[in-house]
Amino acid sequence: MFKRISTLLAATLACSILSGPAAAQAKDKVILMLNWYVYSEHAPFFLGKERGYFEQEGIDLDIQEGRGSGVTVQAVAAGTAQFGYADVATMIKAAAKGAPVIAVGVALQTSPMSVMGFADKNIKTPADIKGKIVAVTPGDSMSQIWPLFLKKTNLKDTDFQQVAGDAQTKLNAVINGQADLLLGYPMDQAIKLQDATKKAIYPIRFADYGVNLVSSGIIVNKDYLKKNPDLVKRFMRAATRSLEEAAKNPEAAVDAMLKANPKSGFKDSALVGMKATAGLYKGPDNPGDRPLRVGAKNMNETFALLVEYGGLDKASAGKIEDYYTNDFLP
Amino acid sequence: MTAKSRPLWQRILLSVWLRPILLVIILLVLWDLAIRLFKVPPYLIPAPEAVVRQLINEWPKLWRESLVTTYATLGGFALSIAFGIPMALLIAYSRTVESFVYPLLVFSQSIPKIAIAPLFVVWFGFGIIPKVICAFLLGFFPIVVSTVAGFKSVDNDMIDLARSMKAGRLATFMRISLPQALPSLFAGLKVSVTLAVVGAVVGEFVGSNSGIGYLLQIANGNFDLPLMFAALVVLSMIGVLLFVAVDVVERLMIPWHASHRNDFTATA
Repeated sequence: MFKRISTLLAATLACSILSGPAAAQAKDKVILMLNWYVYSEHAPFFLGKERGYFEQEGIDLDIQEGRGSGVTVQAVAAGTAQFGYADVATMIKAAAKGAPVIAVGVALQTSPMSVMGFADKNIKTPADIKGKIVAVTPGDSMSQIWPLFLKKTNLKDTDFQQVAGDAQTKLNAVINGQADLLLGYPMDQAIKLQDATKKAIYPIRFADYGVNLVSSGIIVNKDYLKKNPDLVKRFMRAATRSLEEAAKNPEAAVDAMLKANPKSGFKDSALVGMKATAGLYKGPDNPGDRPLRVGAKNMNETFALLVEYGGLDKASAGKIEDYYTNDFLP
Repeated sequence: MTAKSRPLWQRILLSVWLRPILLVIILLVLWDLAIRLFKVPPYLIPAPEAVVRQLINEWPKLWRESLVTTYATLGGFALSIAFGIPMALLIAYSRTVESFVYPLLVFSQSIPKIAIAPLFVVWFGFGIIPKVICAFLLGFFPIVVSTVAGFKSVDNDMIDLARSMKAGRLATFMRISLPQALPSLFAGLKVSVTLAVVGAVVGEFVGSNSGIGYLLQIANGNFDLPLMFAALVVLSMIGVLLFVAVDVVERLMIPWHASHRNDFTATA
């Protein structure tokens, strides 16, 4: 017995000595605030953390859950979090109002925004939306692009009924039949609906009807970027590796996420979500690039859409180059 | 007497109605100064001037949505009274009811309403009902607690006196118990009506197509902080007006009470 304890002690001692020098080497503590509670889209960061990609760049990464892209952008602007994973369109709107934030990488180059409902309701084209009830969350990024989708597909406000509620209410409404459709992401809401009801979901993607804008990306505070360009470069190197590896090995990514956050979902559906996420890493105008690099045309289109429909004031918005940069990517 | 001998500007300055407004102005100036001094960026806290501008520009919309929220608040407040006061009477007059119901009531009060509010939308849809229920759930507890306290603190000697003079139960209740309980009942009503406003907005946050809560969500999504603050100002005004309304009713019903006697001489 005593012998066993002493070996245990020796082992711990050895461990602490071995890890000593590594701990002494001061790592940069960095908070990455996500756009929402953890779901499959975030798995790459957990994979990168588990595999030590960030550690190898001298970064001690702390991943924190968010409560909507808007809040994440504000937290990064205020310096509460150094990095944010947020909807880039939302970030642009905040930046146009003076928030000192900039996108240093765009993960989802095609918007996953969709209007979706149970597959057995047979709502597969915009025309099928007529006479149905759609649940939206007022003020969120999807509800703001929704009018543009309606315009492009020749639908009028009067063609369908709309109900408004928060993120959970939207899901509840569709599950309980108070609404036929909701605005959401295939890798988020569709999976939640599927997990709750075991029924198939059919998403009608906005992007398939000519409404495309970039989606989630990595954002930083401008002052922080000015002071720590090297750190941001190291972070983005690790992030790029994480996304590449997650795209190649989605199962490992989902496992890493579920290990760090057992409550964040079920493995099978999270895997579907992770694969759908990785499918959006390639940009339409720069398919050969590594993930997180975004094409100028893609960003310009996003900007034009925001000016036209997203409530972005053209006069004060300036130019799109103020809002993103590829300079810190490998 | 002293009031008359004072010059007009002093009387205006010291009038009861003007004091809170004066304080508001001082706070606005401090707010503005703080933003200028500490260079608080507008995406974190807007300048008061921007809020006032939005308040004026968006007034028609704010007015429309505030009516919706007021209806839900009043509905919840009415329900709180309709359920709260009878419940309080039962608790105050029956030890059995008290021992069964009161602990459960306290227990239920500790449940965060925002956590169960989404369920109300599932059960009752997107109309006014979930909001009214939220307002009711927040509003009814203070009424029960203070009404129970009011009836329990009735002077027993007074009741004995009434009995010795052969007053019936009803007469004792109407002449002795109720008047003595009214002040604390009204204290509960005042807390209740302001909480009902909060409840209605919680309901609107969770699921609603209209109301100040709905407007707050949209303003938040657009980083329109001035509009958000303007909506909050309107919301607080609803709370203040309803509070004043209850206060007026209280003055009419219990003008004899100590809390009003001073005011009456001061304003007379």
